[in-house]
This record gives sequence, C-alpha cells and structure tokens, in this order.
Amino acid sequence: MTLLFPLLVPLLGAATVLVCRRPAVAVRVALAFGALEVLAIGNAVWRIRAAGVLPAGRYLRADGLTSFFLINTGLIFALVLAYSVGYLRHIPAGRFSSPRWFYGLMFLFLFTIMAVYLSSNLGLLWIFVEATTLASALLVGFYNTEGAVEAGWKYLIVCTVGIAFALFGTIVLYLAAVRGGVDPRSALDWAVLMSAAPNLRGAQDLLKLAFVFVAIGYGTKIGFVPMHSWLPDAHAEAPSPISAMLSAVLLNCALYALLRFDAITSRAIGSGFSHTLLLIFGALSVVVAGFLMIVQRDLKRLLAYSSIEHMGIAALGIGLGGAFGLYGALLHAFNHSIAKSLLFFTAGHVRENFGTLRMERIRGMGRALPWASAALVIGSLAIVGLPPFGLFVSEFLILTEAFSQARYAVAVLLLAALSVVFGALLYHFQRMLAGDPESAPASPRVPAADFAVMGVCAACLLVLGMRIPSAFSSVLRAAMAVLQ
Amino acid sequence: MHLVHFAATRALASSAVFLFITVLLMATAKRISTCIVLFSAQCAIITAEILAMAYVHRSSEAYAVAALVLIVKVLAIPYALFRIVKDLQAPGDITASTTAAQSVFIAAGLILLSFFAVEPYSETLRVDTGMLAAAIALVLSGAFLMVSRKKALAQVIGLLVLENGIFLAALTTTFGMPLVVEIGIFFDLLMGVFLMGLFVFRIRDTFEHLDVSKLRRLRG
Repeated sequence: MTLLFPLLVPLLGAATVLVCRRPAVAVRVALAFGALEVLAIGNAVWRIRAAGVLPAGRYLRADGLTSFFLINTGLIFALVLAYSVGYLRHIPAGRFSSPRWFYGLMFLFLFTIMAVYLSSNLGLLWIFVEATTLASALLVGFYNTEGAVEAGWKYLIVCTVGIAFALFGTIVLYLAAVRGGVDPRSALDWAVLMSAAPNLRGAQDLLKLAFVFVAIGYGTKIGFVPMHSWLPDAHAEAPSPISAMLSAVLLNCALYALLRFDAITSRAIGSGFSHTLLLIFGALSVVVAGFLMIVQRDLKRLLAYSSIEHMGIAALGIGLGGAFGLYGALLHAFNHSIAKSLLFFTAGHVRENFGTLRMERIRGMGRALPWASAALVIGSLAIVGLPPFGLFVSEFLILTEAFSQARYAVAVLLLAALSVVFGALLYHFQRMLAGDPESAPASPRVPAADFAVMGVCAACLLVLGMRIPSAFSSVLRAAMAVLQ
Repeated sequence: MHLVHFAATRALASSAVFLFITVLLMATAKRISTCIVLFSAQCAIITAEILAMAYVHRSSEAYAVAALVLIVKVLAIPYALFRIVKDLQAPGDITASTTAAQSVFIAAGLILLSFFAVEPYSETLRVDTGMLAAAIALVLSGAFLMVSRKKALAQVIGLLVLENGIFLAALTTTFGMPLVVEIGIFFDLLMGVFLMGLFVFRIRDTFEHLDVSKLRRLRG
C-alpha cells in the first residue's frame, strides 16, 4: 500500500481537478492533492529507509535508488506547485489553457514519473517513460502559439522515435536473459535480471547491442547530444513551471532508467563498454551545449542548453564510476534540479515583467526587478559551479575522480567546457542586469509564495554546498549500493 | 490437422515477402489514404503471423496478442487516421521530398541492407532470416518515410511502421514479451496516435497548413 499511494494520489488528483470548472476551486483542489502527494512520497521514502527494499506485488518495487529520486521529485514538485499558483494568474484563458487543464495534465505527468520510479519491470518502465512524453506534450504546447505547437509536435515525434529505440534495446536484453536461462515470465524484472546478470556473460554481443539502443533511446529523453534537438524548443516554449518540471524532474527520470540498465550491463560484462559509451555522450553534450550557450538569444533556451550540459556532466560522473564518480553524478543531478528550477522560476518573472525572453531586449533588470535579479545571480553562480553552492561540490567530486583515475583528457575537457559556460552565462546575464530599464516593469513585486519558493531553492543549494547532511548522504550511499 | 500445421508454417515463412511488398508500395504511395490502407494491410499480415505462431507453439497468450493487434492496429488506428483525414478537409497528398521512383529504389536498398544486417545474428539466434530481415526493413523504411515525407500525418504513419518493425523483431526473436507489457505498449501507441492527431489539428489551426518541413521558427 505504501507504494500505491504515491501513484493513486496524482491519478485521483488529475481526475478531480479536471471536473472543477471554476479556476479558483481547481487551484485549491490541486494544492490539496499536491500536499497529499508530498506526504505520500515522504511516507514511502521513510518506509524504504527502514526496509531497504520494498517489494509490492509483482510489478512494484522500491529500493535505495528509487528513494533518492523520489526525494528529488517530491521536493521539486512541491516547489513547482507553490510557484505555479502565482504564475497561472497571467496566463491568457483559452480552450485548453485553463488552470484545470494545467493541473490535470501536471498530475498525470507526475503519475507517469512516479510509475517510472516504482515499477520493478523494465517493460513497464519503458511504457511509463513513453507515457511521460504523452502526458507532457500538451503541457509543452500549452500556450497554443505557433512556437508552442511546433515545440510540442517536435517533442512528441522526436521523443517517441527515440524511445522506440529503447524498446528495441529492452527487447534485446529480454532476449539475452531468456537465452541465458531466466524464466521468460520474470525476465524483465530488474531484481531478477540483476541477480542473473553474472550468468549472462555468454550473451555479450546481445547485451552490448541492447545497451547501445537503450542509451540512444533514453539518451534522447535525457537530452544527450546529438539526440537533444527537442529539448531547447520544449523547455523554451513550455510555461515556466513546466520548464522546471521538464528540466529538474523529467531529465532525471530518464537518467534513472538508463542507470538501471547500466547496472545490469556492468554486472554482466564489466563496466568498460557501457561506461565508455556514457563518457562519449557526456563529453559530446558538455562541449556542444557549452559552445551553443554562447550564441543563444532567448533566456529559456540558454537555460535549456545548460540542462544538456549538466546532464552531460552527470553522464561523465557515471561513466567515470569509482569512489566519487557515481556519488558526484547523483549529487549533481540533485543539485542541478534545484538550481535550474530557481532559474526557470526567475525566467517566469522576467517574462511577466518585460513581456519577452529575448535577452537583447532586456536591459536594467537589476534596477527594475531587484529581487528577481538577486535570484538570477544566485542561480547563475550556483549553476556555473562556484562555491559555496552545491554544484561546486558535485563537480569537484567528479573532477577529483577523473584526476585520481589519471583520465586527464576527461578532466581537461570538463574544465574547459565549464569555463566556456561560465563566460557565456556571465556575458548574457551582465548585459541583462546592467543599465537602465527602458520601461517600468509590470509587477516588480515578487509574491510571497514565489519569494518563499526561491528562498527554499537558494537555501538548499547553500546547505548542499557547505556540508551534505548526514541523512541525505546515507540516502545517496544507499542509492549507490543498489547499483553496485 | 497436419494440413493446418503445414499451412501455418508456410504462412510464417512467406509472410516476410508480403511485408516487403507493403513496404515497397508505401514508398510509391502518393495519397495519405493509400498509406493508411497499406498500414492496415501490413498489420493484418502481422496478425496472421502471430496466429500462425500461436498455433505452432500452442501459446494462448499469443492468441490474445493477435486479438489486440487486430483490434488496435488493423481496425482502430486506421479508422482514427481516416477520421482525421476526413475532418481535416485538406488535400490528401503526402508531398514527398523524393520522387516515387527514388523512394522505391531507396526502400529496396533498405530491404537488401537489412538482410546483410541480420546475417551475423540469424545463425546464433536460430531464427528465420527472412522474418528478422523484414523486421529490420520495417524499422529502416519507417525511419525513411519519416524523414522524406513532409506532411504531419505521413510522418505519423512512418512512426507506426517503425513501431511495427520493433514489434515484429520482438515477435520473431522472443515470441513476444509478457502480456502485461504488450498491453501497455498498445495503450501507449493508441494514446500516442490520439495525441498526434490532436497536434495535427493544432498545427492546421495555428499555421493553416500541414507541411511540417515549414515549421522551422525554433532554431539554434
């Protein structure tokens, strides 16, 4: 039952919100179900902590890795929900762009993400990753403008084709398991595959083939270069709370799927093959996204390319492995999700006040919007990996691992890309912040709820940058233990 | 009884040829409605294949999968696509970026390529080369249809053909996945087509055309 609640609450929430015709009622119902969902997630995390592994029936299962990602999802979802209340006030009403559709689709989206984390079966995992695309495509196209419809269509098509490759990879892995003597009825069960993995060494070619397809498939969803084409469009055209959900929750969710496959492949045929592939994707993403950030003109596109870059850094950490690599990668995914949410929330305020996200048209933000500017500065200092923020620690851990393994090429590449990104963000943001504003902002005050949300983001980043709380550190270690 | 068994095994062996024919015909098709009919026929061939397989291997799950394919892919999806074409009231041509002759040559090349691609695997996997090649050919030609067709609906059909190929690959190598997973995949497919249909209408309403190659505002 513990694991059923986090799945049932968003489903019920979606159904209830969709029948609430009055916007004010829909918002309140959404907040109530959101609070309930956070409680359900907290309860599940607590039980997993006590039990270690929590199997529930044939198709649900939760372990340390699940718990880590559940905490991530719960935290970001709570922040997004609190932020969206103020944000929705200035959305022009349309046939589908009303609060009830917004929250209804968001709860469906959350349901699919929770289902990805809680399913024990790799086939079901695939089904729900595909379902995340379907549930969020309408949210990406929410504004119904030319750009939003184009981004939604591209997102739907690119991700569906990409994910189809992951299905092929899953089938090949299933084939390898069945040939290796695993009972066909449980040959997609992750725990069964994990314990049978050492016996699958004979099917080396099949396992490699499976991992390549899975890496391309789920890599599309993570946003690895060169499969990233959907990501900047979707992030830029979606409403800001949804951009935060995509960047901070969805990308991590796809990363989780890839981690599960990586663990099986590594245990069966050694980590050499899968980790090299991850290093290649990671390096490509970091370098290409870093350089593309220089030429961006739209604030949210800039942030989207930064997400690609950070997912690349996480992939590098996983690819390096070792004592600090995986730890750093998981911590980095978590830190990135908080910092990027903060930046997307700020972008929402910028759009509301300047009426545009084109960075060359935004001048004098420092004077016009002092609080939003403070959030932008904190977010950007955190995202480029400066101390005392969390991303510094995780990037430092990954770099330490690269140096200790004497992989200087990886370390130098990462450092070079990080400096390019640093320069790009500094260049774009100082031009936005400095100078005199051309016109008075529409609503310079930051609502109390948004203020609190951004404060929580900044506080989390600071705490994780100073010292990782021991409770959180034990969650991270439990997550790593599952994969090894 | 022997006769039925013989017929079932012959059907399995020759279905690859019929699948290749649908691939080649789809490459030449000029109208969306032709593509939909061909897609439906392709799924009917796959249904027959599953039935034959269910008979040969005496698997009751496979009969359920065959029923699902028949309902979802042979009937429901083509019906939905026809409804969309009718409601759109737009010209039903597909506007390919290659001529019909070029498309056929490319499709034939892809079929040859897939035979070469499965050659090293068919020995170790002990599966019929023709069937596995047909699966890969469907994947490749689906991808080809997606990149060479400009109309949104034609791309959806390309995606469906690609998905058919993956389904067929699973079928030939593992006799299908567990039933729960199959049902989930069908559900995703149905919802996917529904959503794509919705987006096709939105594209028409916001852009007043359906040529997705002209959707290029978002770049860089």
